[in-house]
Amino acid sequence: MDMESALVSDLDTLVKFDLKVLAADPAEVEAEEFIPVFHRWITERVLPELLIDVADYSHVHEGPGVLLVGHDAIYAYDLSRGEPGLLYSRRHESGAELEGIGSLDDRLRSLLECAFRVCDLIEAEPNLGGRVAFDRHRLELRVNDRLFPSDKATAVTLAGAFQRALAEAGVHDGDAPVQVKRIGESRERLTLRTG
Amino acid sequence: MSQLTVDSTATWKQRLEGRVPPHLDEEIDIFETQIAQKRQGKIDDKVFAETRLRRGVYGQRYDNGQRHDGTASRALEYPCGDLTKGPNTVWDAPGMLRIKIPFGAMNGEQMEVLADLAEEYSDGIAHVTTRQDIQLHFIHIDDTPDIMRRLAAAGITTQEACGNSVRNVTACPMAGVCRDEPFDVSPYAHALTWFLLGHKDAQDFGRKFKIAFSGCAQHACGLANMHDLGAVAQVRPTGNGTSSGTERGFKVYVGGGLGAVPHQAKVLREFVREDELLPLAQAVCRVFGRLGEKRNRARARVKFLVAKLGIEEFTRLVDEELAILPPDDRWSAYLGDLSVTDEAPTRPAATLEAGERPDGFAEWLGSNVQRQRQPGYVAVAINLPLGDLTSTQLRALADTTRRYNGGHVRNTVEQNILLRNISEADLPALYAELREQGMGEPGASSLVDVTACPGTDTCKLGISASRGLAGELRKRIATSIKTTGVLADEAVKDLRIKVSGCFNSCGQHHVADIGFYGVSRKSDGRTIPHFQVILGGQWTENAGSYGLAVVAVPAKRIPEAVERIAGLYVTEREKGESFQSFIARVGKARIRQLLDDLTKLPTYLEDRTLYSDWGDPREYTIGDLGVGECAGEVVTAVEFGLSAAEREVFQGLLELDRGAAEAAAAKAYAAMLQAARALITTENIDIGTAPKEIVGEFRTRFYDTELFFDPYAGAKFANYLFRIHGDAETDSGEEAHRRIEEAQLFIEAAHACNQRISELQAARVA
Repeated sequence: MDMESALVSDLDTLVKFDLKVLAADPAEVEAEEFIPVFHRWITERVLPELLIDVADYSHVHEGPGVLLVGHDAIYAYDLSRGEPGLLYSRRHESGAELEGIGSLDDRLRSLLECAFRVCDLIEAEPNLGGRVAFDRHRLELRVNDRLFPSDKATAVTLAGAFQRALAEAGVHDGDAPVQVKRIGESRERLTLRTG
Repeated sequence: MSQLTVDSTATWKQRLEGRVPPHLDEEIDIFETQIAQKRQGKIDDKVFAETRLRRGVYGQRYDNGQRHDGTASRALEYPCGDLTKGPNTVWDAPGMLRIKIPFGAMNGEQMEVLADLAEEYSDGIAHVTTRQDIQLHFIHIDDTPDIMRRLAAAGITTQEACGNSVRNVTACPMAGVCRDEPFDVSPYAHALTWFLLGHKDAQDFGRKFKIAFSGCAQHACGLANMHDLGAVAQVRPTGNGTSSGTERGFKVYVGGGLGAVPHQAKVLREFVREDELLPLAQAVCRVFGRLGEKRNRARARVKFLVAKLGIEEFTRLVDEELAILPPDDRWSAYLGDLSVTDEAPTRPAATLEAGERPDGFAEWLGSNVQRQRQPGYVAVAINLPLGDLTSTQLRALADTTRRYNGGHVRNTVEQNILLRNISEADLPALYAELREQGMGEPGASSLVDVTACPGTDTCKLGISASRGLAGELRKRIATSIKTTGVLADEAVKDLRIKVSGCFNSCGQHHVADIGFYGVSRKSDGRTIPHFQVILGGQWTENAGSYGLAVVAVPAKRIPEAVERIAGLYVTEREKGESFQSFIARVGKARIRQLLDDLTKLPTYLEDRTLYSDWGDPREYTIGDLGVGECAGEVVTAVEFGLSAAEREVFQGLLELDRGAAEAAAAKAYAAMLQAARALITTENIDIGTAPKEIVGEFRTRFYDTELFFDPYAGAKFANYLFRIHGDAETDSGEEAHRRIEEAQLFIEAAHACNQRISELQAARVA
C-alpha cells in the first residue's frame, strides 16, 4: 500500500468530525431561544437518533452557545469566533441511520446530511419564526481527533473528499466546485473552510 | 505527496509511551482493564461504581435511562442495552469527569491539554469548581482511560477526585503572593496531595475527606473551618527565648464541613511544626478509616466522628496513632525543596504609570486586581461566568500567561482564575488582551460574581436550577449596577451570593452572605421549584460561621428577594455595620416578613411561569391535572401540617437568634414531630399528639416501609427524628443550630415524601 492509500485508509477510520454551517443573518436570534426548541425536539423525538439533554452556555464569550446533546453527536447553535452557526459534532456512529459507514467519502456525505437536516428543521421551526437562515455554502469542517495528523497531506486528502461530498450534496459555486481551504494555526485541529 | 510523520492508527497509550508517570500509567491500565471486565460482566456493579468514582468518573443527570419532559418520564434508549457502569447508571449515558487540580495551580501545558480534551471529548467547556478542580461534562466512559493518559502526561491526575477518598487539596489562591500570610502554603499542599494520593491509610473511608490550606486566619481564601482537615499557616519563636529565630507550622482543624448539616471545625492542634504535618494527617486518616461510620453514609464524614467522640477523645486517638506510625522519609523529604511550587515572575517589577487606558480599565482594576506582597506585582482575577470558560479561552489564557508570568494560573473556590506575579506596568496591555478574549469582565469576588454548583443542569441530586438562577442573578445585578439600581450601592458591592441546587451545599451556600439551596413545594396539584434563603453566613475568617434558612421562595422570585434584602440593608444599616451583623440585628422574622408575599403561590392558570425553573422551559412538576379531589384534600391537609412545622422551625431560628439554645432545640424537635404527624394523618387521621405515639407511628408507616426514604440519602432524614426523640434536650448553641438545620431538612424530606404519596395516589386513581 502506498503512502497516499495508507492515509486514505487511516482517514476512513476517523469518526470524530465537527461540521459548522454558518448562519446567514446571525443578529436575528438569541442563542437562548434555542433552549425550548431543543427541549421540545427531545420530547418529540424529531431526529432519528437518541437525544439526551440541552446545555446552555450562552453566557460564555464566543462559546458553544446552546447545545442539544445526543448520544452520537452534539448539535449546537454555536457562537465561536463570533460567527454563529449550526455546529454538528459527531462522536459515535451507533444509530441505525449511521450503520455501514465505512469510508471517508461516506462519512462526509453523512455529516452533511445530518447537519443540513437540522438546518432545515431550525429554519422551519415555528418558535423561531423564520428568523434563522443558514448559508449552506459557508461551511467549516474540522477533524476532532488529535490522534490523526494535521499535516499538509491529510489536509489535501480531506479537502478532496470534502469537495466530492459537497458536490454530491448539491453545494456548488455556480457551475464550479466549491473551493476549500485550510484555516487556523498549525497547532489547532485541522480545519477546512469553504469559499 | 509529502511524507507522513504521524501514525494515526496509534493509540494514545502508544503515542504517550514514556511520558506518563509509571505509577499513574499503571493505575490507568488497571482502570482500562476493569472497564473491559465490566463489559464482560466480571465486576460487581457497586464495586465498579466505586472504582470509577475513585478515578473521577462521575455520573450525570439522565444516566439512569430516564428523562422527564415535564409531562411524563420517558426512556432514553441508549445503544448499550442493559450494560451499566454502576447501580441504575447506564453505560452509554454521558457522565462528568472531575479533574484534580491541587491548590488550583495550572501551567500553560496543562491548560492546553485541558482545552484539547474539552473539545474532543466534552462540550468545549472547562468548568472551574468550588474546590479548584476542573470538570468536563458529557464524557463517555470508554474515552476516560485516554483522557487520563493525556492528563497524566501533563502531570494531572483524576485519581481519587471522587468517591470515598482524599479529594482535591485546596489552598488560598494567593498563597505565595499574599500580604498577610506568614509563608507560602503551596508546597505543603503539594506535598500532602501526593503523600496521601493512593496512600494505604486513606483507602478505607466511609465517605470523602477534604483538606484545605490557608495562609492566614482572617480571610476566606482557604476556608479551613469548613473542611475535614484544615491547616492555617503560623510561625512561632523557636527555643525557650534564648534564640530569636522562628519556625513554621500550622494550626490544624478537624471535623468541619458543609453538606446538609454544616459543622464548624474543631482545633486539633494549636501548632504543629511543618515536619509534623504529614504524619498528623496520616494519623487522622487512620482514625477516620478505623472508626468512621461505614454503613450509614449520611453520618460517615469526619465531622460526625468528631461530634460523636468529642474533640478530646478524637485527639487522644490521633496521638495514639501518631505514636505507632512507622517512620516515613516522605514526612520531611519535601522540606528540602520548598521551591517546587514557586512561580517566579518573568517580567520586571514596575509600577503602573499614568497614561491612556483601555475602556473599562479603571473599573476592572478596582475589582479584579490585588496588590501582592512583592512590590510592583499584582494578582489579576478573571471573573468567569458560572465558572465556565471555552477551550479557545483556555488556550488563549495559556499563551497570555506565558507572556506575562511564565504561564501560571490558580483556580479559585469562587470559580474564577487568578493570574499572579503580573507586573503592574503590564496591566493595561493584559486587560486589553483578556477583554479581547472575553475574560475582562470586572466584578470578581463581588455581588455579581455568583457562585453555583451544577444543580439540575447536570447533577443527579439537583432539585433546582442553581446555574440557571445564578446566571439570571448575574444578568440582573449587572443591569442594576449599570443603571445605578439598588444593587449598585457600595454597601452591597462585596456581598457574596452562593447557590446550591440541593441541601448538599456544593455551592457553599452556608458561608455566603446571601445563600440559596434548591427545594420544591407543591401547589395546585403541581410542584414548584423553590430556593431556601440562607442568611447570616460568614465568608471571611475562613468561613467563620454558617447561615440558616429563613424561608423558601419560588425560584422565579429569588431575584426580587435579593433586591429586597439588599435594599433593606442599604437603607437601614447602621454606620459600619456588616451584613452579617445587620441580619442578626434586624432578625430573621423581619426578613421573613419582607419576603412573605413572595411565598404566596398563584395557581397554575394564574401564572405558569413559576411552575418551571430558570433556564428550563419544561414544567417542573410531574403532577397530573386529573388528580381526584379526594386526594387533593388529603394533600391539602398534609401541606397545612407541614406549613405548621415550618413555622415551628422558624420560631426555633428566632430562639437561636436570641441565644436560647434549649428553646431552639425544643422547637426543632416540635417541628419534626409536627411534620411527621402531618404525614401520618394521610394514613391515620386519629393520630394523637404524644411524641412517643407520633414517632412510633412514623417508624411503622414511613420508616419500616421506606416510604420516607430519600432516593439518594435513604434513611438519613428519618434518623434525625429518631435521634432527637431519644435525646431531646440540649443547651449547646452549636447542637441547637444543628438540630434546627436537621429539622428544616426533615421537613423538606416530608414535602418530598408527600409528593411521592400524591403521585402514587394519582397513579392508583388512573
